[in-house]
Amino acid sequence: MYRLSKLRFVFPIGLFITFFLDGSFSKIFSGVFFSYPYSMVSHLVLLWLALGYFFQNDVHIPLTGFAVATGICFDLYYSGILGLYMVLFPLIVWLTRVIGQYFTPSFLTAFMVFFIDVAVFEFLNYAAYSVIGIASASFSSFVLYTLAPTLALNLIYFVVLYYPLYLLYSRYNEEARS
Amino acid sequence: MRKFFSNQRLVIIVVILVVCFGLMGGSVVLRNKRATPPLIQQFGNDIVGFASTIVALPANGLQSGFNSISELTNTYQENRQLKQQVTGLAQVKVRNQTLTTENKQLKKELKLNHSLTDYSTVTAAVMTRTPSSWQNQLIIDKGETSGVSKNMAVMSGSGLIGRISEVNKTNSKVELLSDSNEASNRFAIQITNKSGKTVNGIISGYQKSTGLLTMGDVTSKVSLKKGDKVITSGMGGVTPKGLYVGKVAKVSEDDYGLAKKIYITPATSFNDINIVTVAELDS
Repeated sequence: MYRLSKLRFVFPIGLFITFFLDGSFSKIFSGVFFSYPYSMVSHLVLLWLALGYFFQNDVHIPLTGFAVATGICFDLYYSGILGLYMVLFPLIVWLTRVIGQYFTPSFLTAFMVFFIDVAVFEFLNYAAYSVIGIASASFSSFVLYTLAPTLALNLIYFVVLYYPLYLLYSRYNEEARS
Repeated sequence: MRKFFSNQRLVIIVVILVVCFGLMGGSVVLRNKRATPPLIQQFGNDIVGFASTIVALPANGLQSGFNSISELTNTYQENRQLKQQVTGLAQVKVRNQTLTTENKQLKKELKLNHSLTDYSTVTAAVMTRTPSSWQNQLIIDKGETSGVSKNMAVMSGSGLIGRISEVNKTNSKVELLSDSNEASNRFAIQITNKSGKTVNGIISGYQKSTGLLTMGDVTSKVSLKKGDKVITSGMGGVTPKGLYVGKVAKVSEDDYGLAKKIYITPATSFNDINIVTVAELDS
C-alpha cells in the first residue's frame, strides 16, 4: 500500500529534515546541549523512525531500508567513522517492531518503546566507541552525564511532537483510504 | 527446519558484527594515515553536504537573527567601551604597519622567503555539528577546492579552536580542542612571561570539568604568572607561529612533583562557533 499512499513523499521528506535538524540543533544550541558535564544528543531521526512505525497503520513503510540509508549518510557526514550508525538505525527499527507488536499503539506505549529505543541506541553507541577507542568515559559517568540528559531531551521532543505528527499521519492515512 | 533457520540468523548476525567492526576499525586507521578519505567517501560527503545547506542555511539564519536581537539590548554600553579602545587601536595599527614593512625589508636583506609567521587564511562558515557526545566535531563549508588540507590549525574569534581532521572537496570536519581524541589537541605552544623569557611545550590535554587546557611536563625554571599569553610556537612545521591560544590560568606541580603543569584558559569558547578561520602555512 506504501506505493499508493502519499506517505511515500511525506516520510522521506520528514526523514531528510530531521536528519539535518539533528546537526543544526547541536550547533545552534551547543551552549545548552554540551555544557559540562552534561551532554545531550538530539535524536530526531530515531523519533521519526519510531513514530513512523506506530502511525503507519496498514501502509507499511519500508522502514529498514530508510534506516540503513540514513545510517550510511550519518556515518559519512557527521561522524566520519563508517560502520556504526548504518547498523544501529536498522537495529532500532527492528527493536521497535519486536516490542511494539505486543502493544496496541497509544501515547503511553509509544513513549515507553521510544524510551527503550533511545537508551539502547546510546548504550550501543557508547559500547562500540569505547571498543575502538573514541569514547573514554567510565560507565557510571556515561549513564549520569550522557544517557540521562539525552533521554530527557528526546522524551521532551516526543511529548511535544507526538500529537502534531499523529495529526499529520492520520491526514494522509485518511486520504489513502477515501 | 526451525533449527536451520536459527543457525542462519546467527551466521547473519555474526557477519554483520564483523563487517561493522571491520569498517569502524578500518576507517579509524585510514583517517589517521591518509590526507584525504577514499574518493567514494568524499563524493558521498559532498552530496550530503550540499543537501544539508537546504536545512542548515535557514536554521543558521534564524540563529543569527535571534542573536542580533539579543545583542541589540546591550549595544549602547558596548559601544561606549569600544570607542575607548578604538582610539588606542589606531596607534597600534600604524605601528604594526611600520613594523611589518620593516620586517619584510629585513627578511629580504637576509634572503629569507618564508618564515614560520607567514600564513594565509581561509574563512569558512560552520554548517553543523556532529550530534554525538563522544565526538566534538564541526563541519565547515570549505574543502580541498578552497585550499584546506588535513591538520591545518583552525581559529575562531580571537584564538585557536582545533584542527582539520577530514577534508572533502567542498566541506571538511574540524576536531575541537575539547575532543576526547588524544591527537586532537597536541599543538606546539610557547608561553612568554613579562620579562620576555619563553617556555616551549605542547598542549597535553583538556580538563573538561574546568574547561582549561593543560600543558604538562614543563621542567623549565622560568617563572610564569597568571595572565601570561600563550601562542603556538610553529614547531612541527604544520601550524604557523603566533596563533593566540589563551592565557595562563594557574601553574601547579604535576602528580609526581618533578615537573610543572600549566593550566591555560582558552581564548574562545568551544561552544557557539559560527565562523572559523583556517590558517595555512605559506611555503
